[in-house]
Amino acid sequence: MIATDLVQVLLSGIALGSVYTLLAMGLFLTYATSRALNFGQGDFLALAAFLGMAGMLAGMPLIAVVIGVAICMAALGMLIERFAVRRIISRSKAGAAHLGWILSTLGFGMMLQNVIALAWGKSRYYSPPLFSSGEKQLVSLFGAGVFLEELAIGAAALVLAGTMYVLLYRSDWGRRVAAVSFDRHTAMLLGIDVKRTVMWSYVVMALLTGAAGLLVGPLSSIQSHMGMLFLLKAFAAISIGGFTNPAGLLIGGIAFGVIESLSNYVDSTFGDLYPFIIVLLFLIVRPMGLFGERKTDVR
Amino acid sequence: MFANQALRPWWYLLVAVLLALLPWASPNPYYVNLAQEVAILAIAGIGLNILLGLSGQISLGQAGFFAVSAYGSALLSLRLGWPLAASVMLGVIMSGLAGLVVGSIALRARTHYLAMVTLAFGFIVGILAQRWTGFTGGSMGLVGVPPLNWGDPRSAARNFLWTAAALFLAVQITSDFVMQSRSGRVLRTISESESFAATVGINAAAWRVGAFVVSAMLAGLAGALFAHQSGYVSSDAFNLDRSLAMLIVVVVGGLGHRYGPVLGAVFLVAMNQAIADLYTYSNFIFGALLLAVMVFLPDGLSGLGALVRRKRPASLRRNEAGPGAPGVGDIVNLPLIAVARGEPLLQLQQVSKSYFGLAALSDVSMTVRAGTVHALIGPNGAGKSTLINTICGLYRADSGVIRLAEHDITQWPAHRRARLGLARTFQNLQLIGGLSVIENVMLGVPDRGGVVKAFVSWLCGRPFESEQRARARALLGFLGIEGFADVSPGDLSYGHRKLAELARALAGQPQLMLLDEPIAGINEEESRLIAAGIGRLREAGVTILLVEHDMPFVMSVADEITVLDYGQKIAFGAPDAVRANPVVVEAYLGVETA
Repeated sequence: MIATDLVQVLLSGIALGSVYTLLAMGLFLTYATSRALNFGQGDFLALAAFLGMAGMLAGMPLIAVVIGVAICMAALGMLIERFAVRRIISRSKAGAAHLGWILSTLGFGMMLQNVIALAWGKSRYYSPPLFSSGEKQLVSLFGAGVFLEELAIGAAALVLAGTMYVLLYRSDWGRRVAAVSFDRHTAMLLGIDVKRTVMWSYVVMALLTGAAGLLVGPLSSIQSHMGMLFLLKAFAAISIGGFTNPAGLLIGGIAFGVIESLSNYVDSTFGDLYPFIIVLLFLIVRPMGLFGERKTDVR
Repeated sequence: MFANQALRPWWYLLVAVLLALLPWASPNPYYVNLAQEVAILAIAGIGLNILLGLSGQISLGQAGFFAVSAYGSALLSLRLGWPLAASVMLGVIMSGLAGLVVGSIALRARTHYLAMVTLAFGFIVGILAQRWTGFTGGSMGLVGVPPLNWGDPRSAARNFLWTAAALFLAVQITSDFVMQSRSGRVLRTISESESFAATVGINAAAWRVGAFVVSAMLAGLAGALFAHQSGYVSSDAFNLDRSLAMLIVVVVGGLGHRYGPVLGAVFLVAMNQAIADLYTYSNFIFGALLLAVMVFLPDGLSGLGALVRRKRPASLRRNEAGPGAPGVGDIVNLPLIAVARGEPLLQLQQVSKSYFGLAALSDVSMTVRAGTVHALIGPNGAGKSTLINTICGLYRADSGVIRLAEHDITQWPAHRRARLGLARTFQNLQLIGGLSVIENVMLGVPDRGGVVKAFVSWLCGRPFESEQRARARALLGFLGIEGFADVSPGDLSYGHRKLAELARALAGQPQLMLLDEPIAGINEEESRLIAAGIGRLREAGVTILLVEHDMPFVMSVADEITVLDYGQKIAFGAPDAVRANPVVVEAYLGVETA
């Protein structure tokens, strides 16, 4: 491998990986507040990517695109929490019913995916760049020419991720999330509006996903049914980094992005296969370890 | 559906005849084709229903198992010229092996982790099918796969339908039996609580993997049928959409219900016809359906029927108990372990257990003698519950030795200890909500095999598992709650639930019973009943170790008492001696009565 290639491959990996990190943070957040994940989150990402592309192609200024996508995403976040999650997690039925949220959010995602396919079809699209002037504008990094767009996207995603950490650890909202995550009922007794906290966590999840969608457009081609693949990759980031520690999400996301990028560079036919195998291996070796010690469910 | 279970074989025969007549009943060959699709989907659906509806494990990668067998059977028959019966069989076995691998991984993952593991599995198989073109033909497909037509191309559609329908019926009958018999109860139990399952002797890990293997084999059977249906296999058939279609079949039909998969399969195929013109909206429609069913109708189409009938699901309806109910003596007096009364039955030697460096038990040694009632007391946080959990195997001791009769059980998993005759009740009751009271008690009855015999009895419409049922009923009678046998445990009062748990613990014919706070939260009348019951059990030769806070109760039933404080044994002896022991009074009684 040529050294300049390596720099480019690593940068691509980091840029994509930081997008996975944003998705993973969304998963982390809703799991913390509601013990449920949005299995349609990948489709949220796809919708944001397509909306972003449409906005840019229509010549809207970047800021207008960002605001438009954010409004759509926030609304979807509220909708999915209200209609696909709230009733199911409050219904405390044991057995298969505790998996209900997987199926309901999956259904929500399928609906979104269909909407995208209706508007844009099922073919592959390439989104125009958000930050750089030309598609292949190069800048010099460590003596190697790299794409400015990827550099900017990686930076933007990392700034967003950093903002999330500040919010989680330094804001009132972050403290409420931590309290609800620790124990719903105790949080309620402490005067925290649990319902609201949960709802807002879904809104923030949707916003993070929206940002990831905007940023992923220029990085890779987009397709109406790309969602599940990205959800799986975000989950891979989580399984590498750990679910309990938000800092792990960053490490995990970037690690997975870099692995994927290297794997695609080395083997262009089956390159996308190896990362999944790595995820499986991770889940075998460190399964519940991600959540800490396995708990006994009886007393 | 069987008002009278004696009609069961005739009912199945009727269904078989109707299925056989189906080709003539259909107005044109197109409907024969639809019926084939229903049969294939229903077979795969039954597999997923056992996995998700019964064992509570999700799979978003059933298409992977479907594909393994489809390619396996197609390639074996196409390239090596194997007869279809052999190639299909081997294909199904290959899917089963894939299920074994995924199921073993699944042991280490739950809920959404499992969803992701199976999703990843599906993607991996999908990518291989698509890109490994030299082997699979990729999306261009394998052409010329021998069709399953019994060597008669002119009646191909009819012959295929007969094959698929016969296989479907066989699978449906087996699934019906599973749902009504011990296997179904075990799977529902695991789905609600694996730790609890272990304490009644269920090897939860083996059952979970088993459910995966069965569901993979059924998905594989469906896949093999699919491969030989049209003679053309393309990788496009094995994407995520097919996994989702199987999920929709079982969810819409009704998770955990006997006829859920076939209802769902008919629904999906009919729906696909009805909305053929709206093909571009199909994901939207099915997504909305999945969402709506999960939110408003968790029991799917099967739940609709129940709404009208207001009855418990058919699978839970009671069967008649056979004659020859055993007496109390028969119930409890089965010597699994031969230990003479008064000799040590359970021995703990310097058992320690700590959580994250915090010692919950330190060097606890104690002996429970056979045929005695031994009480374990101590203030809150003394380590009583930890000790009980360490004895029954839910926790593993950090150090020390635990012996039951002549066995060193220190390293044994909980289910093995339970099978040795160690039964327990729980401080927070553990009754399985998806089962009736008597079925909960039957969980405690040891499994002595005889599945084939039970299956034959069941299929012929005769009473089956009648011995277990009779024993459970007798125990409920013994405890005075026989009238609640067919009720859901959630509908019982707290005291009655405690009694039902006691009945379940007794059903295992235990040598040692661990009772965790047997009278907490129940009224005096009921606690007198329990005290009397404990006395009778002791007479029958059962050894009891109980944890309880109620001092008058403890003093009245116990032969010997061990006192714990801060994880250490501070006293041991007869009730009077313990009551007079100044250390105990200071540590415990003194504080309590002050």
